[in-house]
Amino acid sequence: MSDALEKLKRAVVEGEDDAAAAAAQQALQEGSKALEIVNAAIVPGIQEAGRLWKENQYFLPDVVMSAEAFHAAMAVVESKLAGEGAKKVGKVLIGTVAGDMHNLGKGIVIAMLQGAGFEVLDLGVDVPAQRFIEKTAEWKPDIVGMGCYMSTTMLEMPQLIAALKQHGLRDKVKVMVGGVTTSQEFADEVGADAWGKDALDAVTKAQALMGR
Amino acid sequence: MANQTLELIQGLLWSKGIHVGKLNSGNRTMAAMMGTPDMVPFPGAQMHDHTMTVARVPARKFYWDAEVHISTQMAVQRWYEMDGYTIIADVYNWETEALGAKFIYSDNAMPTPDVSHPLISSPADLARLKPLDASKGRCAFAIELARLTAERAPGLIKDGFFCSPFSMMCNMMGYPAAVHAMRKNPQYARDVYAFMEEGAILPFITAQAKQGGLKSFTGPDAWACFPNLTHAMIREWELPSAERLKAKGKQMGWNIKGGSVAGDYCEEDPAKLDKQLMWASFDTINEFGLLGLKIVLGAMGRTQEWDPHWVKEYADTHGKQPIFLGLNGRFTRDSKPEQIVAKLRQWIDVMGRDGKLAINIANIPADTAPEHVFIAAAACHTLGRYPIAKDLNRIEVKLPAFKPFDEWLKGEPEEQVIRKAREK
Repeated sequence: MSDALEKLKRAVVEGEDDAAAAAAQQALQEGSKALEIVNAAIVPGIQEAGRLWKENQYFLPDVVMSAEAFHAAMAVVESKLAGEGAKKVGKVLIGTVAGDMHNLGKGIVIAMLQGAGFEVLDLGVDVPAQRFIEKTAEWKPDIVGMGCYMSTTMLEMPQLIAALKQHGLRDKVKVMVGGVTTSQEFADEVGADAWGKDALDAVTKAQALMGR
Repeated sequence: MANQTLELIQGLLWSKGIHVGKLNSGNRTMAAMMGTPDMVPFPGAQMHDHTMTVARVPARKFYWDAEVHISTQMAVQRWYEMDGYTIIADVYNWETEALGAKFIYSDNAMPTPDVSHPLISSPADLARLKPLDASKGRCAFAIELARLTAERAPGLIKDGFFCSPFSMMCNMMGYPAAVHAMRKNPQYARDVYAFMEEGAILPFITAQAKQGGLKSFTGPDAWACFPNLTHAMIREWELPSAERLKAKGKQMGWNIKGGSVAGDYCEEDPAKLDKQLMWASFDTINEFGLLGLKIVLGAMGRTQEWDPHWVKEYADTHGKQPIFLGLNGRFTRDSKPEQIVAKLRQWIDVMGRDGKLAINIANIPADTAPEHVFIAAAACHTLGRYPIAKDLNRIEVKLPAFKPFDEWLKGEPEEQVIRKAREK
């Protein structure tokens, strides 16, 4: 692996966003293909951060910083990926439900999903059900992911799932729920296909839903 | 025994084995913190969204009208037969809102800051901020609620509330930006802390002291739980801030307790639960001196998955500290009543035999079935009766007969306020 790619991986693991962007740029300038940069450095970097999180060596600030470095590096190479024919393993439409503004977990989930090869469309926070429905119909994701933080706003989720049914979309997508107030029991109760306990778990579940 | 001082003395005597009269819901928890009460107390929980939902009071009144708020919380907590009131509203929002942050308001949920449009995105934003003006936002509601709480609601916490710095920083900047500043631009983070202390918290406390006549203030800090912040970061940022605020308060004759629940062990993955990290969290919490005594505190974490022996061992090896443990709100919502009883049976068996145990539910989710809360209260009061039975498996816990809230409410002092609040 080139020096630039080594530096890039280390910058992602250590959560150095400026260094990650600079190393990604350097790797491109030295002739590495965008796909190679992603597969050899950026994704292994975020995966290593995930491993350290799982082993209680990294804590949330560390993971957030790694996710930021991941995004900084991806921003450098993203536009070139499509031209190189990079294949996505699935499409995930994601958003925080109406009335809820919290997006911390969602940001990490998105980084981890992208790291695992998913194409992710982020609808943002406080997303009305109608917008989820419209985008589901238009963008045709494989998975619709909904997040929440409050026990009052989590009650939007069953309504959103009902709205997907009502519009004939429920059978065409898998539904994942997540967020600090949710649980496996809640996911079962509202008829979701999976519950993401945390970002790593969300990726594992998303891969399972895609049959991988 | 209505006199609060006499109740306090009675609680103290009970905790030392001198059983004068009967303990009541007001002094049972205090007795449990000091020694052995008559039964394991089940004090009021943080449950604002839940009480609002149970009482069917609209959010736009509940979070704006102090009389509606306290009436609703007191009525629902008394309906559940909790041991003393815990009146906590959306305490994290008030300063950020008054400083001009964008908030989302709805009919069914508490106000919440729109961190996608943060109040502070750069040092320039920080420089533009003016100190808090307590006539803005919902400060008047907060002050009146604190005043009413001190006047009417005997319980463990009767303080004025403020938002401790790290949680406020998350509300004003968003968590990733806050952590980014602390890690990558510490001078900027220090400037934000200085503004929060001098420009937000102290003006808000001053207003509470002047307008509400309060002298004691608690600053919850849920965002500063572990692993949201590492223990080292809590010691580097939150603890010195709490000490600065305490010193400022002392000059004014106030008791300011910042960093409440900072360090709370909130590991979500059962596979990652770690005795050393849990104990480090207990150590950290104790460094803040939350209630003026050393205490083993578990509030918002996944406590149902904790090994209670780890908790008891910490308490016993650190000066026989009392244990104040919150049953996880999601566990309470999602479990069957028999699972709740089984968990509390285990807790009381392992941690409650020598007294010094209080159990509540941390942040009860809005739509939790009331039966789940009633059975938790009944389990504490049945299984936790002292002396604790040798074999708790032989003791049956029955769901107490209870009237639906609306029926129970008839004739209660809060009835008119709650019914009127429901009118459009």
